[in-house]
Amino acid sequence: MLRKEDDRYMRGRGRFVADIRLPGMQDVAFVRSPLAHARILSIKIPPTLRDRVMIAADLEGVRPIRADTTLPGFKSSTQSALADDKVRHVGELVAMCIAPTRAEAEDIAAEIEIEFEELPAVVDMLQGRQPGAALLHEPWGDNLFLTSVTDVSNGTPPANAAYEVTRELRTARQVMSPMEGRGVVAEWDSRVEQLVVHTATQQPHIVRSGLAECLGIDEGQVRVIAPDVGGGFGYKGILLPEEVALGFATRKLGVPLRWIEDRRENLVAGADCREHHYLLTAYADANGRLLGLDCEASVDCGAYSAYPFSACLEGGQIGSLLPGLYDFPHYRCRVHSVATNKPPILPYRGVARTGACFAIEVTLDALAREIGIEPVALRMNSLVQPEQMPFDNIAKRHFDSGNYPEALRRAIEAIDLDGVRTRQKTGEPDGRRIGLGFALYTEQAGHGTSVYSAWGIPMVPGHEQCQARFTPDGGLEIRIGAHSHGQGLETTLSQVAHQILGVPHDRIKVLHGDTAISPYSTGTWGSRCMIMSGGAVAKACEALAGRLKHIGAKLLQTDAANVRLEGGAVVGPTSRIEVAEIARTWYRRPQDLPADVDPRGLEVTEGYKAERDTGTFSYAAHACLLAVDPVTGEVELLDYVIVEDGGVLVNPMIVDGQIQGGTAQGIGTALYEEMRYDERGQPLASTLSDYLLPGPTEVPAARILHMETPSPYTRFGQKGIGEGGAIAPPAAITNAINDALAPLGAELLMSPITPRRIVEAIAAAQHTQTPEAAE
Amino acid sequence: MKSAAFDYVRPRSVAEACDLLAENADAKVVAGGQSLGPMLNLRLAQPPLLIDITRIAELGRIAETDGAVTIGATVTHAAIEDQKIGAPANGFLARVASGIAYRAVRTRGTIGGSLVHADPAADWVSSLTALGAEILVVGPGGTPRRVSVADFVRGAMDVAIEHDEIVTGVHVPRLSATARCGYHKICRKTGEFAEAIGVAVFDPDRGLCRVVAGAGGGRPVVIDGARGTDRLLATFDDPRSGRECLDEAGVTGDDYQMQIHVAAVQRAVQELRGR
Amino acid sequence: MTTITLEVNGREITADVSPRTHLADFLREQLLLTGTHIGCEHGVCGACTVEMNGAIVRSCITFAVACDGAKIRTIEGFDEDPVMTRLRGAFSAEHALQCGYCTPGMLVAARDLVHRKAENPALDTRVEMSGNLCRCTGYSGIVQAIDTVVSENLVAPPSAEANSEPWFGPAPGPSAKTATPTASAPASPRPAPAAKKPAAPKTSGPAIARRPIKVEVGDLTVADGVTQFTESFTLAHPVATVWELMRDPEKIAPCMPGLVLDGPPENGALAGRMEVKIGPITAGFSGSGSFRRDDDAHAMALEARGNDRKSGSRVSGEISYRLTPASLPDAAEATRVDCTIAYTLQGPLAQFGRSDIVKDLVGRIGEAFAQNVDIRLRAPDAAMIAPAKLGGVSLLLGALGASLRRAILRLLGRGS
Repeated sequence: MLRKEDDRYMRGRGRFVADIRLPGMQDVAFVRSPLAHARILSIKIPPTLRDRVMIAADLEGVRPIRADTTLPGFKSSTQSALADDKVRHVGELVAMCIAPTRAEAEDIAAEIEIEFEELPAVVDMLQGRQPGAALLHEPWGDNLFLTSVTDVSNGTPPANAAYEVTRELRTARQVMSPMEGRGVVAEWDSRVEQLVVHTATQQPHIVRSGLAECLGIDEGQVRVIAPDVGGGFGYKGILLPEEVALGFATRKLGVPLRWIEDRRENLVAGADCREHHYLLTAYADANGRLLGLDCEASVDCGAYSAYPFSACLEGGQIGSLLPGLYDFPHYRCRVHSVATNKPPILPYRGVARTGACFAIEVTLDALAREIGIEPVALRMNSLVQPEQMPFDNIAKRHFDSGNYPEALRRAIEAIDLDGVRTRQKTGEPDGRRIGLGFALYTEQAGHGTSVYSAWGIPMVPGHEQCQARFTPDGGLEIRIGAHSHGQGLETTLSQVAHQILGVPHDRIKVLHGDTAISPYSTGTWGSRCMIMSGGAVAKACEALAGRLKHIGAKLLQTDAANVRLEGGAVVGPTSRIEVAEIARTWYRRPQDLPADVDPRGLEVTEGYKAERDTGTFSYAAHACLLAVDPVTGEVELLDYVIVEDGGVLVNPMIVDGQIQGGTAQGIGTALYEEMRYDERGQPLASTLSDYLLPGPTEVPAARILHMETPSPYTRFGQKGIGEGGAIAPPAAITNAINDALAPLGAELLMSPITPRRIVEAIAAAQHTQTPEAAE
Repeated sequence: MKSAAFDYVRPRSVAEACDLLAENADAKVVAGGQSLGPMLNLRLAQPPLLIDITRIAELGRIAETDGAVTIGATVTHAAIEDQKIGAPANGFLARVASGIAYRAVRTRGTIGGSLVHADPAADWVSSLTALGAEILVVGPGGTPRRVSVADFVRGAMDVAIEHDEIVTGVHVPRLSATARCGYHKICRKTGEFAEAIGVAVFDPDRGLCRVVAGAGGGRPVVIDGARGTDRLLATFDDPRSGRECLDEAGVTGDDYQMQIHVAAVQRAVQELRGR
Repeated sequence: MTTITLEVNGREITADVSPRTHLADFLREQLLLTGTHIGCEHGVCGACTVEMNGAIVRSCITFAVACDGAKIRTIEGFDEDPVMTRLRGAFSAEHALQCGYCTPGMLVAARDLVHRKAENPALDTRVEMSGNLCRCTGYSGIVQAIDTVVSENLVAPPSAEANSEPWFGPAPGPSAKTATPTASAPASPRPAPAAKKPAAPKTSGPAIARRPIKVEVGDLTVADGVTQFTESFTLAHPVATVWELMRDPEKIAPCMPGLVLDGPPENGALAGRMEVKIGPITAGFSGSGSFRRDDDAHAMALEARGNDRKSGSRVSGEISYRLTPASLPDAAEATRVDCTIAYTLQGPLAQFGRSDIVKDLVGRIGEAFAQNVDIRLRAPDAAMIAPAKLGGVSLLLGALGASLRRAILRLLGRGS
């Protein structure tokens, strides 16, 4: 089924935040900190501009953003909308400037002088853990938001370990880079005494709660509208200090305000995901079976705990993600969530899984090389078997269903492992080296209350609701609190409703993204929408079906037990009545209804929660064939196979789109994307010429093969699949590069793998292997 | 970010443009604006006045003679890519043009603008140096002077031009029909800036054999072979002798940079030889 | 404000624009054609791609004022276009869009490619579309959709049209009918005062010829965010003479290209301004500093820090030097000057990829300084040395130029 939302986008008629015009609207430009860590000594504003500039002192009564968890030992941070005392990362907001156009607002920003006392910056997470490191939040005494420990061991390495390898791995800091940045248009509606905030968010209801808390007003006084949103990927799953600042200022000044994030702001102040460090030891027995893992990991969390997911969203999950799909008896993992002078860490597609998958899968390949067996053999020996499902892994994750070895087998066959090994023996005519790499992961999705309540962040998902109603002319309106920004929910939820009610697709309208017209929802994140919103839509439509049958039976003058809903009509023993006719009668001809008709009518709100809310586990095996040019370090992806099991697929085209798109982002992580910082915390990219996003020539068309093992816990057996594509590519590509370079003795353990890193790794390996040659 | 405010003027003639420059010390000439535009939008460049030379008819023209093709300064990369102008180097210019940034940039970016910017990573800086092209510069006096691209580009972003002069065109000598060229650019992704550029030109009839290593951060390094032989090219059959050759010629860089500079030249030579 | 006349989606429009308003903002903010999206404003992402006079262009780095007389077509103008209609069908069928943000620019570029491939089938779809970034789809649907439409041969190869005026510059060109006549006066009614700063007469250069001076540049190190390098050169003057000049900040300052002191030092404190130019980039750092002097050792250290209000960048640095006797072939009494230069740059100017400093650039800056000192020594009473331009590079820019280099490499290599 083709997407309902496509046409408006293809005609330039989408409506994104930057497209909204309100009468009298003024533009905002922010003055941002040029320094990573400094005390603000003074802010000089030319007197003639004073009424067009707001600084922290002007934000009377505004509370800082605070996202705590109840995890024992967690240390709390507070983030002011505009920095008051200290700035803790480059790009932090210091002042907001208001003018009729953005250009003029930037002119004002250039007139503001800030005097700073620069403080030593914590730029690296390992440096931040050292005793004596500069402190971001002085009262803490160190820079640790949290240290999380998982220990399933008897305190010593596995006794029967015949093989052991240790690797130090890193993933670079990234910028999620949706093509549309963030943006806010805010106005105070004096008629209903309500702050109306149009904002590019994945979570309008969560933004409303956060805004009300920070501004000290009732939630009823805040309406958040997420219009068309140009990609999220987690970047838009946060309460913004900009939203707080504009929300306050628009009410204070009585004019609508607009702030549209530009690419420079996005890169400099939004570099906020993925940066992990691992020291990982893996053990295997003499038969080449994984015995255990010992890991010390760090997550570079940036300066503040972001609302609502907190600073520990990655660090808190690594311990349970690292074991992957493997069954082994020994496991120890300690993870440090470290505060640094960088923008706060946010969820990015694949949240924590991408780093954990990279660490375990790359280390498994190293272990296989140490043992001298095919990396896939080590995996086959160690995967959870289908007959073990459902399976609680060593870190207590509950895998719902699946056949992991079969996925790997299909990937091996599709990529032609044997053929590649033969080809490698003959060598390439152009001098390049080819390599093959595999990686597997599970993607937990739609996990709910039981998982998040233990974490204790400001947002715990519970029931997901849907409001569904018929319009008087027989159309169907579906209202959900989650948001669609590329996932195609307007289509897939329509499919769910159509399946149950038989209403034609073009008569179904899915409305979302506005707190005023939709039920509460924690929003779109964690690949949860098809499970949670899909479940809620089904429940609501089923309830509506009951109402239709009730009214239809009355109109057919029969008992509700004698009718069925079929082909868009209520069908009784002798006659039928169209759904549209039932709606028309209900709303416009009540005189035709009997007195005992159920007065609740054709509008329902129903909720959904999975019977078991530990989530679904879709999974995939990725296999990558590539060629490395050892002279220039250039990498070409020759073939990319994905065997994915997403349970029952509602819309296969959209599922494939999510997988292919996620894979492109994973390729970015693997080979291109890196936000570097200098030693004082200056970010070293501020354009997309410095921060490289993969383009059409960098992303091959993946070959996607499907398995369909239904989840036992969801409405249709569907599983969340939105993030998986972005999880495995860094591991699969790194394994392929290491496979290609193994004969040269070179091994790459950091993403992204740049040409320079490849050339230098080869040179270092040659230096190690032939020390005399280097003399 | 939006550009800081500037004034804008659109002269009709080269003489007017030069006069405007002479009167306005901080004015900037703009043609397609594909390099200046981003700098303005980032407010890293804040000239008070932009002098748009794209409405000066003579700068967008081509003049062909038996020995050379003169390409006007505001001729776009796309016009060259689409082979709308004479081909002094057997299609080589079109091939180079097609690799500059992206199509929507090439439709406005100009050959003269690129040369005046003298970005070491720019394709024209290296390729036109290899072809022995000359730049035509006109000042308030009106008399054009000709300076070789190699002398014009003094270093990164540094060209031999006075503030009140403008580049009016590029004089590209014709290669003979038997000449062959090779070009190889190493960059992180399609359309991005080069980390190394290799150019190789061999024109037996004119006795020319030359390689250029570009995108090294400064001006491109030119190595001329002995007249009438292509022995120079063989130097790059082996990476070690290639590296020695570039070292001697003054190409600098760390091991990675030197390795890709050698590879770029080596691959340009291979392309020239048709393999 | 400048008045322009142009055709947008077939409609003749006359509007007043600020010269700094780029075409995308003009379309979106003044004409409310919001289908053209802004993704980067640096000409990289392609979201803002529109058609001008039949060719695709980046509307974010094309200023509206330069479109006077042009024909613009935005995504809203392609509703009835047959090729675009097919592309819309194919994009939907191949799931070539998700969030829809890149889609308008993608479609405009795709349509252009369909036409160009009719002429030149060898063009590679992926390479040709590389100027349009999509973060959602992974491109395979986009590529498939375009190739499908290409295969339908909807477009006849263009007949070789005779170019009435053989002119090959960027649109709209000299023959376009404009609102503001092409003229020698600035198009805006009133030029900004700063615009009328006549160029310094060329004759004010030093009367004495510069002599080549070899400058040795040492290795560059970066530690704790501080970039440091050494420069050494030898001057054909006795130590006492050189020291007489170099011990005095007021005298030595003019030898540093771009540096102007506010006045004589007070109690070792200096105030001044450093103009920095590289290519089109300008920065003016205003700030203060101090110096320490050791007359016995012929050594001096100057430290300074300043802010560039325009860009919000800040720089701090230290230059120290020491003079020792040396000899040169043509001067028995010569002086070796060993300088150590260390600096830190922060803010927007620093926030480009920072790479290795161009050694040749640093060397040439040092040369300019050394030559200026030499000239000053040979003609102490000569008029103020003209602000020495080294392709606009000043001494401190040795430092700055280094970190800016990447910016330039990244942003300025496209040719304008």
